[in-house]
Amino acid sequence: MRRLFLLALVLLSGCRPKTGEPLEAKVRFVPEHPTVGKAEVCIEVDPRLELVRVEVVGDMTHAGMIPVEAEAHPAGPGLWRVEDFDFNMRGDWVLTITAYDKKGKKYVKEVRLTVP
Amino acid sequence: MKTPDLLRVPLLGRFFRWRYSRFALQVPLLLVALLALYDGFFGRQLAPKNFATVSVWLHYRGFLVLAIAVLGNLFCAACPMLLVRGPTRFAKRFLPEFKWPRALCNKYFVIALTLFYLFAYEYWDLWASPWLTAWLILGYFGVAFVVDTLFPEGTFCKYVCPLGNFNFTLSTVSPTQITARDPEVCLSCEGKYCVNGRVETPSGRKTLREAPNAEGVRYPGCETKLYVPQIKSNMDCTLCMNCVRACPYDNVAWKLRAPGTEPAWARYKIDVVWLGVLLFFAGFMNAFAMVPPYYQLAEHLAEVLGTRNEAVLLSTIYVLWTGLGLFLTLGVTTLADRVSGVRASPLKAVRFWGSGFFPLAFAMWAGHYAFHFLTGWASIIPVTQQALANLGLPVGEPDWTLAALVPENWLYPLQVAILYLGLLAASYVLFRRARERNHFLAGGIVFTYFFLLVALALWVLAQPMEMRGTLLLPQ
Repeated sequence: MRRLFLLALVLLSGCRPKTGEPLEAKVRFVPEHPTVGKAEVCIEVDPRLELVRVEVVGDMTHAGMIPVEAEAHPAGPGLWRVEDFDFNMRGDWVLTITAYDKKGKKYVKEVRLTVP
Repeated sequence: MKTPDLLRVPLLGRFFRWRYSRFALQVPLLLVALLALYDGFFGRQLAPKNFATVSVWLHYRGFLVLAIAVLGNLFCAACPMLLVRGPTRFAKRFLPEFKWPRALCNKYFVIALTLFYLFAYEYWDLWASPWLTAWLILGYFGVAFVVDTLFPEGTFCKYVCPLGNFNFTLSTVSPTQITARDPEVCLSCEGKYCVNGRVETPSGRKTLREAPNAEGVRYPGCETKLYVPQIKSNMDCTLCMNCVRACPYDNVAWKLRAPGTEPAWARYKIDVVWLGVLLFFAGFMNAFAMVPPYYQLAEHLAEVLGTRNEAVLLSTIYVLWTGLGLFLTLGVTTLADRVSGVRASPLKAVRFWGSGFFPLAFAMWAGHYAFHFLTGWASIIPVTQQALANLGLPVGEPDWTLAALVPENWLYPLQVAILYLGLLAASYVLFRRARERNHFLAGGIVFTYFFLLVALALWVLAQPMEMRGTLLLPQ
């Protein structure tokens, strides 16, 4: 019985979804300190990473809020940009930047900010 | 007037008479608690995407007020924390059992714990932390285990649990209540089994109090020591239905009643009334802490006090607000007493008029919780999927755009309606009390006070929401 339990545990942990590698990136906003409304999000990464897709998801820190999702567009070597990211409420935000390279490898970075 | 008895409804009555009905209600919530613990400790530490924070701060609170409004204190009935009873009974074999101190046999300890909990909720941003939420759940189970091991069963529910006492207080406005079908039967009952418990031994029927170790089929009595024919209130009733099963004469009813009217005729002790008053002001503060004027007040206070220490600022705001609320309540109810020609002490005045706060407290919390629940109810689907996926179960890709139950522009009118209903029930309580004194102006004075409080609450709920953990912005 105990062996079966251990086997199930190992199998289940093997199926656990992968979270992705940490993404080394500089994230800037225009305006520098966003207020409620649209703002530009600039993501600067090492061009050698050869990213093909970058997604930005904004969550508030309270349960139940609908996330704001946006796709970043390439704006130069290693530079990705979301032009009108919608900070639709005052409060604490967590931006999750998920990037994929040519081989489908996933990179993730989290940025926290307060929108006054 | 004869009112319907829910225990006469065929399937419902049969279910609640079944020995394992409470266990059947507790198991789903235990599974929810276990998944919340797992995801809270090991899942992604982002509140809107974690099962612990979504299930506790959105759905548990939302369903809780809904259940109280529609039926009664079902969440105490289904409380999974009482499943520690098996381990506590085992531990009791090796440990001494103490009497709960007489000085704490009231609601003041619960009031202190509730205040601490509300402070902790804001100071540590419990709503934003899956990890702390998981610790809160675990801590709750731990405290329930320790208290119910060292003290008689039911002590935790009646004198310690802030959540249970929150439920007790708000369920005074519920549309159902446990009562005796025929009080004459209770007068001739030899064992008062509903409170003392019953055991059917081969040598005959005994109470569990007189024969705690007797062999036979056992039916525990009321854990919070409520004697059914004397129950006039839902206060301290966990709806465990032990009384229903313990009564050998099938003389316990779960009757429908007019919602919101209990505080008009029940005579609560002063500690219970203070709990109701505190819950209104605490509910107000809980909502106020999510709107911009609260943060402006904190900035102003930081300047005045010359400190940016969040604990100091939060404590000051809470002490000032609840202190002001209690002081105003004392003043207004004493004035109402004086106007009606009564020269009793201010505490007696609060005891007489203060039960009007019970429906207001319910409306304040229900209005606030309804907002969160209705804006994010469907988010339980993707967070459950994600938590189960983390366990390795094939549950598909979560859809994070699932959220609102009703359009956003319905929310404020709904909150207004809830608060008006609360004020209506409170005014009924005041009207009945004023009629007892035959002095309607006295009731009018307290009503004006309530009206102004509700207007202030509506102003708070009308403000744009700000979901922020940091009290002060970085300088």
